[in-house]
Amino acid sequence: MVTESAAPGANPGRRRIPREALAGLALVAAPLALLVLLVLLPTLSMVAGTFHVETESGSHIGLDRYGDFFGDAYSVENLRYTVVWTLLSAVTAVVLALGLALYLRFSDGRIPTMVHALSLFPLFVPGIIISYALARFLGPNGLFQLLLAQVGITGYTTPYLTPIGPYIAFVWENLPLPVLVISAGLAQVSDHSIEAARDLGARSGRILFEVVLPQITRSLIIAFSLVFIFVIGSFTVPTLLGPPAPEMMGVFIQRTLGNLMRPDVAKVQATILLAVASVVGVLYLVTMTRGGPERP
Amino acid sequence: MITRRNFMIATAVTPALMATASFAQDTRTLQVFIAGDTNISNWWNDIVKPAFEAAHPGLSFNVTITRGIGDGNNTIAQRAMAALLSGTDPQVDYFEELEPASTEGSIEAGLWTEMTPANVPNLALINPAAIQTPVRLPYRGSQVLIAYDSARVATPPKTFADIVAWAKANPGRFTYGRPDKGGSGRNFVVRAIHEANGLDPAAFTADNFEPAKAEAMLQKAWTILRDLHPYTFGEGSYPAGNTPALQLLAQGAVDMIPAWSDQALQGMNQGVLPETVRVVQLQDLALCGGFAYSAIPTNATDHAGALTLANFMLSPETQISVVRSIGGFPGIGWEHLPAELKAEYLDVIPLSIPTFPSGDWQTAMNDGWYKNVATNLVRD
Repeated sequence: MVTESAAPGANPGRRRIPREALAGLALVAAPLALLVLLVLLPTLSMVAGTFHVETESGSHIGLDRYGDFFGDAYSVENLRYTVVWTLLSAVTAVVLALGLALYLRFSDGRIPTMVHALSLFPLFVPGIIISYALARFLGPNGLFQLLLAQVGITGYTTPYLTPIGPYIAFVWENLPLPVLVISAGLAQVSDHSIEAARDLGARSGRILFEVVLPQITRSLIIAFSLVFIFVIGSFTVPTLLGPPAPEMMGVFIQRTLGNLMRPDVAKVQATILLAVASVVGVLYLVTMTRGGPERP
Repeated sequence: MITRRNFMIATAVTPALMATASFAQDTRTLQVFIAGDTNISNWWNDIVKPAFEAAHPGLSFNVTITRGIGDGNNTIAQRAMAALLSGTDPQVDYFEELEPASTEGSIEAGLWTEMTPANVPNLALINPAAIQTPVRLPYRGSQVLIAYDSARVATPPKTFADIVAWAKANPGRFTYGRPDKGGSGRNFVVRAIHEANGLDPAAFTADNFEPAKAEAMLQKAWTILRDLHPYTFGEGSYPAGNTPALQLLAQGAVDMIPAWSDQALQGMNQGVLPETVRVVQLQDLALCGGFAYSAIPTNATDHAGALTLANFMLSPETQISVVRSIGGFPGIGWEHLPAELKAEYLDVIPLSIPTFPSGDWQTAMNDGWYKNVATNLVRD
């Protein structure tokens, strides 16, 4: 396969970097320099600053400010809430996207094309629009409740301003990317392997779990990581659709910085959020760089 | 036949006529900068402008919206300050809303025109509730009111205790916005702080904040609001701003909310809110509010024109429009406006317009509210 021959060390006789590689490096140099100067360096200086503790008797290096964060039940609750609902949203989005991608992979015709186009639609809708739309649709006395009442279902409790509100919006707006990633992975699953399994008498469930899924684990992990990273730092959707407390970390950091004007505290919160996101970021990087038969 | 005499008159008059004609065409256009919401800039363009042009032929203005760009009007004020120092044209005549003190050193440098009844005659009519400093022209006000659905609220609340009693009798039908997301919710929380501290807004000033004392004073308000918490919409699902709170009222999800006077009155006039929605002001101590202050730089390109505009903004004619078109409070006293207008708004006219300091007090209030009222964590 292509990936095998391009893997590092595949050509032990190579000594000089070929010209094409230099041209490639030149192309990435400008964006890389921007990334280092405008993102990486400020981030590092921010993280370093959080260990610098100012007291009345002087300043020292320590974890005091992290102690303050983890000693405050309200802050810890916000962190716990953020991680739990981000995980739930990412897993749900990937599961739904897998279903959509499987349907698209194994069916032909005009309807799947339309479903495919529809599944990408959320990509073009900004978060603030979906927030207001869902508030009106799912909100109290909204369209959804009226429709339910038409068929005799009463006792609807709105998810608006509860954790379920942003959860629905997260899944909705983060569906397109995993559909694309998983579809790309599924495209590499050969029809032959599925036909072979079927010839041997395997049922659909067994084909899915023992033939298809093992071949697309990387796509699934990458899709999960992307959604996780998008959701954990979100601001608009949890502000408008979520409960006032607990707060998602993005909302909490913004409020600490913009409203309470405590940049020192906000930096600690941001560093902790960065640490959580890095775990998934590392997972993503490892998955991307690890050699394997399938590359989405 | 052209006589010599007529010819002489004709040649003498024609240039004069031409000069007059060109003068009439040469309208002086003032540069007005507005950082306020869309309702304000639209009102200036659609209603104030034609009225001003009709009242003052030869004068007009051009509105530049600075809302959301840089630091809004403050950026333009800094430009005017720089122009003052370098003796150049600031290209601005009128700031619709501005805090002159925000531009450092500008008051001391004499950047702002001192306005008195001598140069703005209508200042003699000013509303005594509007805090007037010479360089700030209060011309419209708004205040937080209680908006309620009269079909469901039999007796409108007159005191804070009335609101709490009604909310407890009607669980889930009252709510207010998060204090950091909009003034309507914030000033309701402020009102709870006033309630808990002897209804005395004077106890809170910009320079009397002490953490320990503040903690004790605010804690009493948290007790009141925490007591109300389980009876609010969704047992503490406070909406994220002025508009989301009004939306809950419009959708019939709640029956009573605190709301900005201008947003509520405009919503009622436009039919966005149900016809049965009414507004009322608390009578023992009103909810907070404030005025929008205009300012004119001394180096304005057309300084005389700007003062004419200032006087026009305070004329009873424009002030009626402040009430009717944008739901604001007049900058001049109600006694200078038609009696029937006052009668119509009797329920919402405040006896006083309390304020609450920004800065430390507000920060402590917002943070304290999240940690003590909004959260469902068990506290010790």
